[in-house]
Amino acid sequence: MKRRAFHRSPLLAGMAPLILALGTAVASAEPLDRLLEGYRSEGADPFSAERGRALWTRQVRPDAGTRPRSCTTCHGEDPRGVGRHARTGKRIEPMAHSANPERFTNPRKVEKWFRRNCKWTFGRPCTTQEKGDILTYLSSQ
Amino acid sequence: MQDHTVRVWDEPLRLFHWTLVASFTAAWLWQGDRWLHLHLLAGWIFLALLLFRMVWGFTGTRYARFSAFTCGWREAWLWLREVTQGGGPRRLGHNPAGAWAIFAIFFLGLLLAVTGIVTQGGEERHGPLAGLFGFATGAGSHLLHEALAWGLLALLLLHVAGVVVESLQHRENLALAMITGRKRAVPAGLALDVPRRRGVAMLLAVALLLFILFWLRGSLAGGDDPFLPFVGPELPHDAAWQEECGGCHLAYHPSLLPAASWQRLLREQEHHFGEDLALDPDTVRRLQRYAVGHAAETTPTEASWKILHSIPAGTSPLRITETPYWRRKHREIEEAVFRSRQVNGRFNCDACHLDADAGSFEDGAMRLSRAAGLDDERSGERA
Ligand code: HEC
Ligand code: HEC
Ligand code: HEC
Repeated sequence: MKRRAFHRSPLLAGMAPLILALGTAVASAEPLDRLLEGYRSEGADPFSAERGRALWTRQVRPDAGTRPRSCTTCHGEDPRGVGRHARTGKRIEPMAHSANPERFTNPRKVEKWFRRNCKWTFGRPCTTQEKGDILTYLSSQ
Repeated sequence: MQDHTVRVWDEPLRLFHWTLVASFTAAWLWQGDRWLHLHLLAGWIFLALLLFRMVWGFTGTRYARFSAFTCGWREAWLWLREVTQGGGPRRLGHNPAGAWAIFAIFFLGLLLAVTGIVTQGGEERHGPLAGLFGFATGAGSHLLHEALAWGLLALLLLHVAGVVVESLQHRENLALAMITGRKRAVPAGLALDVPRRRGVAMLLAVALLLFILFWLRGSLAGGDDPFLPFVGPELPHDAAWQEECGGCHLAYHPSLLPAASWQRLLREQEHHFGEDLALDPDTVRRLQRYAVGHAAETTPTEASWKILHSIPAGTSPLRITETPYWRRKHREIEEAVFRSRQVNGRFNCDACHLDADAGSFEDGAMRLSRAAGLDDERSGERA
């Protein structure tokens, strides 16, 4: 019923795009802020994009046998560019928030990939400090 | 000395004869999945020509009519005996053995076309009989179709042998006569030219040409896809499956492996080909429900049916690329192609199959020209 009333009102209908645009802007900023807020509340220091960048590009050898790995192994050198999965070759969309507004909009997805990728790259889970720094770096790009 | 000749074969008949030869040859050469749309083009033309010939057998000129050459098997047998003993009497139209060959070719040809359409409807779920038959009927019809094709080939070779023998015996090039339409009139003057019927021949030619253009309209329009796109039934999809299984590679449609395989793969998700999928139990259950509900056992596609039936009972392979059907289908592709940067592993189905995401794996949706190596090697196949 509400829907129908909405459609009948020319004023409200005219404002719909504006409302929608505002709504999505708020929605996309929110999950990231919530994530960072969560990390902070677990006792992390203020986040630094510079530390995040260093971590993002750091080359590590999780095992003696493997070639050096880093987050850029799959995501590419430029966070605004597309990446390529090291094992499967699948294209990975840009990680920088500016190039790909869909990034970091789903906290569960972010946590899942942190869990997988930190283990794969560093051979250990990332700390909340590291996660916050990386997200700060990527969202500033 | 120039013999007096008369026109025996009208133009529609000659056009029929050689286009039938061409369509059979084309269908024979274009066997295999990659050329299926061309095979079908040739097959439909073959059937249309046979049907045309049926009509022409009642409405054509004198020697084209069935009534001019139907004869009992006794007559044919006697005639064959005479030939083996040094030559029977010369005929202007078809001889009795030739007539029998023609009817046999007709019969096998029609059966060939019908089994082809049943195969297409059963196995590929396309064409006029799409979905009327199961995959098993389609597969059986496929076998029959191949046997008939060999039978027809044998018959055609016999026919050619007959033409050669008779040409030698009567010192008259019968194959040439089927081009020019003319044969020696002996005794001179007794026989009359049959009408040309050029109008009918033109009509037939134009109809064939238009049909070919229509069939190939997709490829002729240019673009990336070298093949006439087949649009198969749309398979069900699941957002969670897409999200959880489509991050590192294509989200393989569950119809590509049996339910037991998916259950095992999800149970062992912490050791997924060297990756830890780190899925929570709720997600695992949800994915399991979807995968089992749409596994190969539901056989929505030819690929699912064939993969399922190729897997030895009691086994649950984790890789699609290790199922016998997959291996058989890709055996001709060189390792270097799979290893190339464009493909990057045999598990990357979408490098070669346009519809890999949809899960349908239609013959008409292969993008081989873009896959490495295949481009140079088989550049002729764009045809
Ligand atoms: C082995 C390849 C690989 C490596 C190495 C890798 N990633 Fe990823 N990462 C992926 C893939 C694949 C995705 C999913 C991309 C998508 O959904 O578009 C992803 C997604 C993510 C996401 C989620 C983005 C979102 O949309 O929410 C984050 C965060 C992330 N990666 C962080 C990292 C960090 C930090 C590192 C280094 C420690 C890293 N990745 C290294 C393959 C990799
Ligand atoms: C973290 C990355 C990642 C995710 C997420 C992932 N896979 Fe995989 N998968 C791989 C890798 C790596 C391979 C092995 C590729 C190779 O052969 O080198 C593979 C292989 C496979 C294969 C075998 C392909 C073949 O036939 O050779 C199947 C089937 C498969 N995955 C299904 C799934 C399903 C179902 C899911 C979701 C539950 C999933 N994958 C999620 C990385 C992933
Ligand atoms: C390098 C390219 C390439 C890759 C990668 C590839 N295929 Fe194929 N596939 C082909 C070719 C070529 C054929 C046709 C073979 C023939 O002519 O019989 C084919 C045939 C098939 C067929 C039979 C189609 C039919 O209707 O008869 C199926 C099903 C199939 N592929 C599934 C897959 C799946 C599933 C994957 C990924 C796990 C895959 N393919 C990966 C090239 C590829």
